[in-house]
Amino acid sequence: MDPKTNSIIKIEDLHKSYGQEEVLKGVSMEIAEREVVILVGPSGTGKSTLLRCINQLTTPDSGHVWVRDVELTDPKTNIDLARQHIGMVFQSFNLFNHLTALDNVMLGLIHVLKQDKEAAREKAMLELERVGLANKHMNYPGQLSGGQKQRVAIARSLAMEPVVMLFDEPTSALDPELIGEVLVVMKDLALEGMTMLCVTHEIGFARDVSTRIVFMEHGNIVEQGPPSKILNNPSLERTKQFLGKISDLH
Amino acid sequence: MEVFTTLIPYILRGLNITLGVTAIALGFGLVFGTLLAITRVYGNKTAARLISVYVSVIRSLPHVLLLLIIYFLIARIVNLSPYWAGSLSLAIISSAYQSEIVRGAILSVESGQMIAARSIGMTRNQAIRHVIIPQAIRHMIPPWSNEAAIVIKDSSLVYILGVPEIMRQAQYYSGRNPTKPFNAYLAVAVIYFMLTFLTNRGLDALEKKIRIPS
Amino acid sequence: MDYITYLSIAIPKLFAGLLISFKVTFVSLGIGLLIGVPAAFARVYGPKWMKNLVIAFIEVIRGTPALVQLFLVYYGLPQFGVTFSALTSAYIALGLNSGAYQTEYFRGAIQAISSGQMEAARSIGMTRMQAIRLVILPQAFRLVIPAWSNEVVSMIKISSILYLVAVPEMMTVARELYARYFNPFQTYITVGVVYLIIISIITYLLGSIEKKMKIPGMELDKRSMQ
Repeated sequence: MDPKTNSIIKIEDLHKSYGQEEVLKGVSMEIAEREVVILVGPSGTGKSTLLRCINQLTTPDSGHVWVRDVELTDPKTNIDLARQHIGMVFQSFNLFNHLTALDNVMLGLIHVLKQDKEAAREKAMLELERVGLANKHMNYPGQLSGGQKQRVAIARSLAMEPVVMLFDEPTSALDPELIGEVLVVMKDLALEGMTMLCVTHEIGFARDVSTRIVFMEHGNIVEQGPPSKILNNPSLERTKQFLGKISDLH
Repeated sequence: MEVFTTLIPYILRGLNITLGVTAIALGFGLVFGTLLAITRVYGNKTAARLISVYVSVIRSLPHVLLLLIIYFLIARIVNLSPYWAGSLSLAIISSAYQSEIVRGAILSVESGQMIAARSIGMTRNQAIRHVIIPQAIRHMIPPWSNEAAIVIKDSSLVYILGVPEIMRQAQYYSGRNPTKPFNAYLAVAVIYFMLTFLTNRGLDALEKKIRIPS
Repeated sequence: MDYITYLSIAIPKLFAGLLISFKVTFVSLGIGLLIGVPAAFARVYGPKWMKNLVIAFIEVIRGTPALVQLFLVYYGLPQFGVTFSALTSAYIALGLNSGAYQTEYFRGAIQAISSGQMEAARSIGMTRMQAIRLVILPQAFRLVIPAWSNEVVSMIKISSILYLVAVPEMMTVARELYARYFNPFQTYITVGVVYLIIISIITYLLGSIEKKMKIPGMELDKRSMQ
């Protein structure tokens, strides 16, 4: 089967087990350019695993993953090269602790994209401005708040000019008053046309900018559709139940 | 190889000396070290500070040097055999390190325990004996296992005083068999390795056995 | 002879011995570093056979006295026709010894760095080697400083066994002195004072280096060093 040419991510029949427990039970999905897809569902249902299988931080047991028509599950593919085009934002930020915010963003540009220092610096400052942290470029991660750290992490990924951004519960580790500043950045990204796949509980964000909401449970996609449908009138009772619960919290 | 019939028995003649030195050093070290630790945690401030200085000094000096200082000191005062002088020297050295281990273990037992014990009417000593120490012992085993291995290895230093432990035996052997010095010291190395290995494994097993379920 | 006169003779000689002690310590630490860092990475990131090899190496060195290791090299190797000078034997034996301990210290530091750091580095397209070189190693070096300071003090102390193979470091000089002036107790006390001063200075210096290298917010978790 030929993947669509404007398909950014195509996932086919992914399986992943940890010991006895099967976390992904044959998940298939396609994400087209400029789509903003939100992945929701109870904890432990494989959402993060699915995300990590895309850039192969976790290797699936079986199944295929294509990003922009390059099959990442093919052992012959240069995965490091492929990862240059996939941006990932982690729940625990994972900023490089020994480097300033600016150096964090510059590191990939210099050593992976082989840019010269001046060009890298310019680009990095641009991205930091984009997330509103140009004035913090000399600070170390230890000196930044959670929301600021996450924004730098987003800048770090954006600097590589990825074709898709993967967000793994980007605001789950943040204090409530810091969540907003990160969501603002993510919203702007979506409005600028970035292809995004986000695992999150932030229903408000989903309602505002997503093009599709995917509800996963027990390692399978249960229901998916545009936010107007899923949020207001889901087909399945289970979906309604789950969304009702997290709407209460958010 | 006939090496095994002559070499190993020859070296092993020094084994009970090695074991004796180790046992004395560890045993006296534990007793003295515990006393130092308890005084430091529960005693008056001056005593605590003195002990702290004493421990710092001992931990900063090479064991060889301490061994020789204490040996020559003891030799001036009391007429002890090199075996006892060496063992007690190592005991004094080990007591400084062990006092730190015991102190750490006592401090790791949370302060609420002492308060709770006193509040049901126990005296301080009763509390220390029945509440603090039993819990501290469990925390103590891993670092103590480390110290035991160190003392086993340090026992090789009494070689300097001419004590006929296994190192000295190896030296005698290689004196009589000048073509085989490596074998002699290799045998000694193997013996030390087995001693430290068995001690560590044994203490690991003990720790698992007395572990409090949580 | 009174103590002051004695000191005026002893101190310059002890100082010469001290320099040799330093030289041996320095070289052994260097060799230990060259062994320890790669071994630690092999232990954490390498294939199973490599991990086991490193573990075996560490267990053997840590399970045997430094004195035995020294004698094996200096007195033992000639059995196979390999003869090293006392000083070279010291470098080899103490270098390997330090290497084993440094492997453990660096392993602790590397493992204290969260796996998220490696993941973040890989996710922007770095190869494993790049991630190790640019992200893990710089942080490991900072985290290891307290434990490494310990190793410096440890090496200075261990170097005293070299007097048994007649390397002219401080203890050897001490022995010559007391053999000449018949005052072992005083000589060794003097040596003790010298060691105390030196180690205090070194501890202070290493402490200020640690402060200088500190990165705001980067925690040096001592618990993970044990």
